[in-house]
Amino acid sequence: MPRVVRSSLRKELFANPIDGLVSVLLISGVGAAGYGLIHWALTQAQWVVIQANSTLFAVGRYPIEQQWRLWLLVALVAAATGLSWGALRGLPQRDRPITAVWPRNDRIAAIVLVALCGWAPAALGLAWPIQARWWALTALLLVLRWLAGRYASRLRKVATLGLPLLWPLLYLVGMVLIGGGLGLVTVGANEWGGLLLTLIEASFAILLSAPLGVVLALGRRSSLPLLRWGSIAYIEFIRGAPLITLLFLGQNILGFLLPGGLAPDRIWRAAWILTFFSAAYLAEAVRAGLAAVPRGQLEAARSLGLNLPQALSRVVLPQALRIALPATVGQFISLLQDTTLLSLIGLLDLLGTARSVMANPLYLGKSAEVYLTLAVLFWCCCAALGLGSRALERRLNPPTLGP
Amino acid sequence: MTAEPKVAKSPAMIEARGVEKWYPNGFHALRGVDLTVQRGEVVVIMGPSGSGKSTFIRTFNALEDFQKGSITVDGIALNDDLRQIDAIRREVGMVFQQFNLFPHLSVLDNLTLAPVLVRKRSKGDVLNQAMALLERVGIAEQAHKFPGQLSGGQQQRVAIARSLCMEPRILLFDEPTSSLDPEMVREVLEVMQGLAADGMTMVVVTHEVGFARQVADRVVLMADGQVVEEAMPEQFFDHPQHERSRQFLSQIL
Ligand SMILES: Nc1ncnc2c1ncn2[C@@H]1O[C@H](COP(=O)(O)OP(=O)(O)OP(=O)(O)O)[C@@H](O)[C@H]1O
Ligand SMILES: [Mg+2]
Repeated sequence: MPRVVRSSLRKELFANPIDGLVSVLLISGVGAAGYGLIHWALTQAQWVVIQANSTLFAVGRYPIEQQWRLWLLVALVAAATGLSWGALRGLPQRDRPITAVWPRNDRIAAIVLVALCGWAPAALGLAWPIQARWWALTALLLVLRWLAGRYASRLRKVATLGLPLLWPLLYLVGMVLIGGGLGLVTVGANEWGGLLLTLIEASFAILLSAPLGVVLALGRRSSLPLLRWGSIAYIEFIRGAPLITLLFLGQNILGFLLPGGLAPDRIWRAAWILTFFSAAYLAEAVRAGLAAVPRGQLEAARSLGLNLPQALSRVVLPQALRIALPATVGQFISLLQDTTLLSLIGLLDLLGTARSVMANPLYLGKSAEVYLTLAVLFWCCCAALGLGSRALERRLNPPTLGP
Repeated sequence: MTAEPKVAKSPAMIEARGVEKWYPNGFHALRGVDLTVQRGEVVVIMGPSGSGKSTFIRTFNALEDFQKGSITVDGIALNDDLRQIDAIRREVGMVFQQFNLFPHLSVLDNLTLAPVLVRKRSKGDVLNQAMALLERVGIAEQAHKFPGQLSGGQQQRVAIARSLCMEPRILLFDEPTSSLDPEMVREVLEVMQGLAADGMTMVVVTHEVGFARQVADRVVLMADGQVVEEAMPEQFFDHPQHERSRQFLSQIL
């Protein structure tokens, strides 16, 4: 161990006897738990429950002969991820200058990705051609990441305008690929399941609740009484009710409220409820952001002749949303986790699928393996969201005077 | 507010007649204020804290509303008509005590935002003008920095340039040097002096006596929501007529 590391470790962990004692206890506790977990995972756990059902966990009962559409979609998402990642790298990071195409954190992320795609498909016992597909997808992502990072500084304008458009567009394309239409065979929503359904529900709610939340936040601060009280009533009602009751309500009430054919399918009902739920919380995050923008900003914009929509969209909201970004992403992360409640209303999302698998007598007593897998999957999705948002945040902060 | 017919260009740039304002909490902030500002004139408004100076000049570009009296800016009557308000705001620039630069935009973008959005001018055209203005206020080399990277004095000069970029006919200043360190006050006052020399119509709320003496055509003293005294600077500072003025001057001189 290099001396610097050793001395800083010493300062952080063993500065005085009490610190030292706490450190020893913590380290041995964490160590024992970690050892136990790894020991169990490697020797006692029977992962065949995951191996045998990996397709079910991934996409539910999506028809096999149509699954090429999902592969295509994953490829598109991998490409878009690579592009966005690289382009984000090229944006001026305002607290430190751009150094290399592959800074340290990115190298680590790339290595983790490669290791994951080498290990996970093999561990799941996937057939060779399928394993090769995952390698190709990872390669696609990394190559585009490299290309975009290399030319990002030249394509900055395209990146800042294109990226916010790319993802919603990809979402529309993705929905066509998943659901069919435009010449593709229809695959009904009741055939979606597993991680696929979880991600569809979460991304639908994220994409739609963001604008809705901004509108509600503006409404809450509006000087028009009707708009203001309407927004307040909505936000407070939603925030006062547990999501699960809203989900049950939605399943029952939407059917009554809307005439026969108009009532959306159960899956879309749930997606809309998630959207409405998340929008109320987002509105509060955005409201905090709006409150943090000094009054003088709006006054300066108005005194320059900007009308209210211009002043809001060009001056106030860019600042407010930047401030609200961490809380917003936090809300998205909990939204992703809240999708597990869908299993309670009988949808076969990731958790619902898992429960149906565990109900199979063949896999009796294998719930620890299943739950651990779910936890890791969710953790990966949430970590990706969190990392992306922190990278974005650092690039959006305007530079200030100082070191 | 009385509905005033839109008159053709009157000679005065600003005409305020009997302006009264109550804040929503019932506070009577302006109690019948009259003021006329001619084209090219520089009027300095002074007065103790809370006397309504900010409230008054903020009525000129409708940042504050008022309940009684009338205000005409460059021949356009200020009433509730939103289009009139937008028209007036295009012609009236305002410089604030806290600068209020847009921190998420570069200095150059701060200047070009409004001309491009509001006046619908081409970006390239505005860029040239913006650079010329930054040159004029002495910070052309900071054009690509962000407001947070500038000193207070530099920020206030950018704010002045930002207002000028809209080519206003009047500039309002609300204590433009009050939140600046002493060594930066001069650089801002020099810019303002230059503007006055070029014939810009200005209404300036300030306690800078030196500036008022040198640059102002008239000094107005407000107290308790009213105009107490209005005079030429020498007259006002050397021979104040009213007890309230003498009291105020004894505190700031
Ligand atoms: N939004 C408001 N609601 C109620 N009262 C207000 C409001 N804004 C200002 N006032 C009151 O109106 C009076 C005039 O305020 P104004 O800001 O115009 O004073 P000022 O002369 O500019 O003072 P200063 O030198 O401190 O800037 C003050 O007594 C103030 O407390
Ligand atoms: Mg004031």
